[in-house]
Amino acid sequence: MNAVPRRPVLRALAAAALLLTATACESAVDAQTRSGGASAAPRAGGVAELGVNLDLVPANLFTNSNVSITTVVGLVYDTLVRYDRKSLTPAPRLATEWAATDGGRTLTLTLRQGVKFHTGRAFTSADVKFSLASYTDPKWNGQLASTAKVITAVDTPAPDQVVLHLEHPVGNLFDLLDTVPIIDSATAADIGTGKRFVGTGPFVFDAWRPNTDLRFTRNLDYWGGAPYLDGVHVRVIPDSQSLVAAVKSGQVQLARGVGYRDAESATAGGGVAAIPLEGAELQAYVGVNVTSPGLDDPRVRQAVAYALDKERIVKEVYRDKGYPVSLPWPRTSPAYDPQLDGRYRHDVAKAKALLAEYGRPVPEIPLAYVGNDQVAATTAQIVQNNLAEAGITVQLTPVDSTQFVKQLIGAQFPGLWATNHSWAQFTPSTLTVSAYPFNARRNSSHFSSPAYTAAAENAWQLPSGTGAEATAAYRELSQQLLDGTFLAEIAVVFEQIVVRDTLHGVDWSRRRELDLSKAFLA
Amino acid sequence: MSRYLLRRAPSALLVLFLASVLIFLVIRAIPGDAAAVLAGPDAPPEVVAAIRHDLGLDRSLVGQYLHWLGGLLTGELGRSYLIGGDIAELVGDGLGNTVVLTLAALVIAVLVALLLGPLWAATRSRWVDRALTAFHTAAVALPTFVTGVVLIIVFGVVFRVLPTGGVPPDGMFDRLDITAQYLVLPAVCLGLPVAGVLTGFLAETLRGELRQDYVTTVRAAGVRRRDIVLGHALRGALPVAVTTLGLQAGALLGGAVLVESIFAWPGLGLLVEQGITRRDYPLVQVLLMLSVAVFVLVQLFTDVVHAWLDPRIRLGATS
Repeated sequence: MNAVPRRPVLRALAAAALLLTATACESAVDAQTRSGGASAAPRAGGVAELGVNLDLVPANLFTNSNVSITTVVGLVYDTLVRYDRKSLTPAPRLATEWAATDGGRTLTLTLRQGVKFHTGRAFTSADVKFSLASYTDPKWNGQLASTAKVITAVDTPAPDQVVLHLEHPVGNLFDLLDTVPIIDSATAADIGTGKRFVGTGPFVFDAWRPNTDLRFTRNLDYWGGAPYLDGVHVRVIPDSQSLVAAVKSGQVQLARGVGYRDAESATAGGGVAAIPLEGAELQAYVGVNVTSPGLDDPRVRQAVAYALDKERIVKEVYRDKGYPVSLPWPRTSPAYDPQLDGRYRHDVAKAKALLAEYGRPVPEIPLAYVGNDQVAATTAQIVQNNLAEAGITVQLTPVDSTQFVKQLIGAQFPGLWATNHSWAQFTPSTLTVSAYPFNARRNSSHFSSPAYTAAAENAWQLPSGTGAEATAAYRELSQQLLDGTFLAEIAVVFEQIVVRDTLHGVDWSRRRELDLSKAFLA
Repeated sequence: MSRYLLRRAPSALLVLFLASVLIFLVIRAIPGDAAAVLAGPDAPPEVVAAIRHDLGLDRSLVGQYLHWLGGLLTGELGRSYLIGGDIAELVGDGLGNTVVLTLAALVIAVLVALLLGPLWAATRSRWVDRALTAFHTAAVALPTFVTGVVLIIVFGVVFRVLPTGGVPPDGMFDRLDITAQYLVLPAVCLGLPVAGVLTGFLAETLRGELRQDYVTTVRAAGVRRRDIVLGHALRGALPVAVTTLGLQAGALLGGAVLVESIFAWPGLGLLVEQGITRRDYPLVQVLLMLSVAVFVLVQLFTDVVHAWLDPRIRLGATS
């Protein structure tokens, strides 16, 4: 019997399988990177692919604390007003007009009509009342809760009218109205479980698969006009190298949470740009526990501030995406004063002189930072080196991110710590009543001074956050911060988004919330 | 066989109980808790206290343990602190992805070992032997975070033929051709070390078998070398290879943590990593218990398969 030769048959089968695979399969890469070209003419259609390094934490939705949260809030929710990125002048959003009366104790807002939640329900003044009340619930830990609590009553005389009654005037009321997302009362219970996020924003939330992705489709009824994009797909890519690879390969058109050095490498090949989120500044700083031996003397703390080589940190760590400062205020802030801000320039001789004046040896100081955060680790090493030059020995103590937050809010750092803070890009008083490191009543530094508390309260309880009276109050506040030196500011720095040239019209709020309502794929 | 199984059951249960206590205590021994993560850097103490109360973290340790154990026994796994979702659902989704990835890696590893192991044992060519030694050494020695990045750069960025990571946007079963392309890089990365180990073991055991007397007898009878290796020696070598495979399943699960992170593959590895970083106690407890249970089951299973493949063990167990 003649058996069929095995080898030729196997070969034929393999070749056929290969051919079939090559012709029948669609490339997964092509499916992801279909849109091409770099022309800037707005075009409707397409789904923007985004990559983020951190996943959503639904219970933190009101805290602005990570890139996923600021992406979701920016796409799904609206606020009553919106600051532009250069000034603190509120522009209409869900509120179209407003008027303050009673010396700043009452604010009457007129609401936009015809706005609908993604469920189809009409937006009314009751939703504003509900959103403001939710924001003060401790479980959400809204960062402007102290300002929200000044509102003693919210009246809703008409569906399109809200009246806020305040305990006392506050200069940062519009910061609150710019920040609080307007949520749908009927589905608010689903926020904590991540099942549903319903707002009035340009994109409708479809689904969240933890550790995987978030999906949004465009809101055709959006009051600002339907977005060009059909939808937004946000992928969670925790590994920094993989995130960069995803942008380079075109699998995502926009990445958030890319490191400063990685962003340089991503943009080196062309077709990709790193955009600093101007107007949404962050501040890198070294915190000081003022009860720690040695650091309990203001001269030693000032020596620390003089010893910091801020230019080097901005250059080496932040790759020049920022500028050195002595005070938290960005250059666009009404509190920014170049003369005051220039106080603590890198000056080792001055640091040594202050230490000599102190006259005693400074014991070894521990410096805590988040160990697996490359930016924090490099900053801590430079700080250690800088302080050694001035004659202060620093022991580096890396901790993990959770322990770091616990020590920060529990005021448990034994010596110094290096991290960053936010909220100085808003009305200056927001920083001192909301950002924990600056809180005059209780802060991580254990710092308290009647003069600082008075300056902070005075700056807060102004009827307006801008103007001559406000400027004088901020000057006094800055003076107190410089004299107390309970934290040494290093620099104003920017979060960066890495964007491919196929995605245009990307915008953001002062809280780094992504605005893709006018974005399009070209 | 059932008596054999019954004899093994109490020790397996004891391992599970001790593991539950250990897991519960160890994760709480790490400084910092989930309340701090949820509260964020600007939270006043009353907010942290409210969140701790909400999560039940203000109860005694024993109380927390018993509550968890009770839930575990009644099938109520609880809710994740940080992700907010039902743990059973989260673990189910993650497990599905991990199983798909691990099975793909396992298939690749087994195929490679079945192909290269006999070849390595039977080859007389020095070059083939050298090439296979080099493959074995590289596959065993190179950590997944190196091979993963190299694979991404070569196939994802330079040649752009495969996705750099993630799962198919429309689900695993929407388009199988797309799924296969998403799966190939992470599966190869995860399967490579196991393939190396398995190939080495199989080749070495085969060489041992080929030195046995019965092989000499078969060879004297004029049976072809290929048939000796595949038809006779392989049967003798497989039981050892299966036990090795069982042990390597653990390595696959361990390796999955890194590979899932590199390739953004949303499996259990990523869940564990995040859970530990954010002190998501209930989630981590369930996941670690699951790992222990899988280990115990896999060991039990390989023992059974071993007994089935090797009559000596089977007979010893039933006598």
